[in-house]
Amino acid sequence: MPEHTIASREQWQAARDELAELEGEQAKRNEEIKRKRLELPWVPVEKEYEFDTEDGKKTLAELFDGRSQLLAYNIMFGPDYTLGACPGCTSLGDGLDGTLVHVNHRDVTLICFSRAPIEQLTAYKRRMGWQFPYVSTYDTDFPFDFGLALTEERAQQIPELKQMIDDPPEWLEEWSQQVGAELKDGLRENPSWIAFARENGTVYHTYTVSAPDPFVAPYFDFLLERTPKAGSPEPRAWRKDEYPD
Amino acid sequence: MTGHRIGTQEEWQAERDALLAQEKELTRRNDELAVKRRALPWVPVEKEYEFDTADGRKTLAELFDGRSQLLVYHFMFGPSYEAGCTVCSSIADTLDPQVVHLRARDATLICSSRAPLEKLLAYRERMGWSFNWASTAGNDFHRDLGLAHTEEELRPFLEGDIPPTVEQMAEASGTDVAGYVSEGPGLSVYALADGTVYRTYVSSARGLEPAMAYYGLLDRTPLGRHEEGEQTHWLRRHDEYDTA
Repeated sequence: MPEHTIASREQWQAARDELAELEGEQAKRNEEIKRKRLELPWVPVEKEYEFDTEDGKKTLAELFDGRSQLLAYNIMFGPDYTLGACPGCTSLGDGLDGTLVHVNHRDVTLICFSRAPIEQLTAYKRRMGWQFPYVSTYDTDFPFDFGLALTEERAQQIPELKQMIDDPPEWLEEWSQQVGAELKDGLRENPSWIAFARENGTVYHTYTVSAPDPFVAPYFDFLLERTPKAGSPEPRAWRKDEYPD
Repeated sequence: MTGHRIGTQEEWQAERDALLAQEKELTRRNDELAVKRRALPWVPVEKEYEFDTADGRKTLAELFDGRSQLLVYHFMFGPSYEAGCTVCSSIADTLDPQVVHLRARDATLICSSRAPLEKLLAYRERMGWSFNWASTAGNDFHRDLGLAHTEEELRPFLEGDIPPTVEQMAEASGTDVAGYVSEGPGLSVYALADGTVYRTYVSSARGLEPAMAYYGLLDRTPLGRHEEGEQTHWLRRHDEYDTA
């Protein structure tokens, strides 16, 4: 017999109905937050940025690819990572291609950013079999201006970060080995979603959300929240071609 | 100029920080919900179900494929459908790449539908998916979960005003409204312990919104979903959009 409480279908249904109330309340709160997101002011982006893409240099406006909204996920893949992007971010990336064509038809261009040079991103994209456009912010101020990366100086000023680098938990040491970078370099990238609007030739920054928000997690977390057994509380992740057997 | 309110970086940051506090509260409550879901009692599945799969007939226990947790997405593809439901297809687009990640976390993710296996496999090939797709033809698996309805049960709905999107979706699946709504979408979750299968969680309809990953993305864009006033649904199968 499992350790878990066993019940009849009727008992389960009663407990399920109670939970459904709470799920319904949570959905209402989410509606409220969605509305507030849409009410945030838009901030004009006045600085000019140029990015390396698979199709050559592009400005921020050009990344919209003719659409009026740009949504980007910033994958932790800094210039010092010798073995590829963060495995957790990579797992999130695996889910994006399934949504690409759908959001494209809602006037949204979906891309990913990383700070490693474009050659590294393109090779990694090929290895993972991804389709979404992958844009390099290498050698631009963009990630620093928008909170997607920390400069070395800034990183040293954050006590929590210094603590993690000086005394990392075991999973974080493993993570450092997975990406092939020292934590002092590796932890300078900030996994985030960032959104922009474009109207009459002006680009506006509209929204950013960063870890530990659950939206900055692989899609399968939504499924794992519904499985009977709790997984490890540690954010260990593997690339899909590197799972231990 | 845009119709939207324009602000300075400082104004944006102040409002963003206020919203972040609410987002964090939502996250905290979400974590509580996950704990409560796991506290639900388990119900032994006493009925014997047999499914048609690409690897032959399988029992529910066999669908776990050696793992201790099974997630089943109940994909709307009824016997009268010519093609799977458009919305379920868009969900499956995102579910498919998760299978490998879940497998490594002791969870098997599959889809099940009431149409015969040959139809499911042909459609799976068209859509380029690789998840295991079980046909429940000949068993009451969906029916027992309240995810399959008889025309008798549907009569009040069918005699009322049918929303245009339902007609649109029925037509897109090559069936009529009665045939289309005989199926319901759902997610059911099971644990396997000492040879017994337990049902642990079931969710349907509105509870499945997180499965529509594109909505999560649109909810973070400047314009949101902006679906109000649209008479037909914008969603298409991934190979049916007009090239834009």
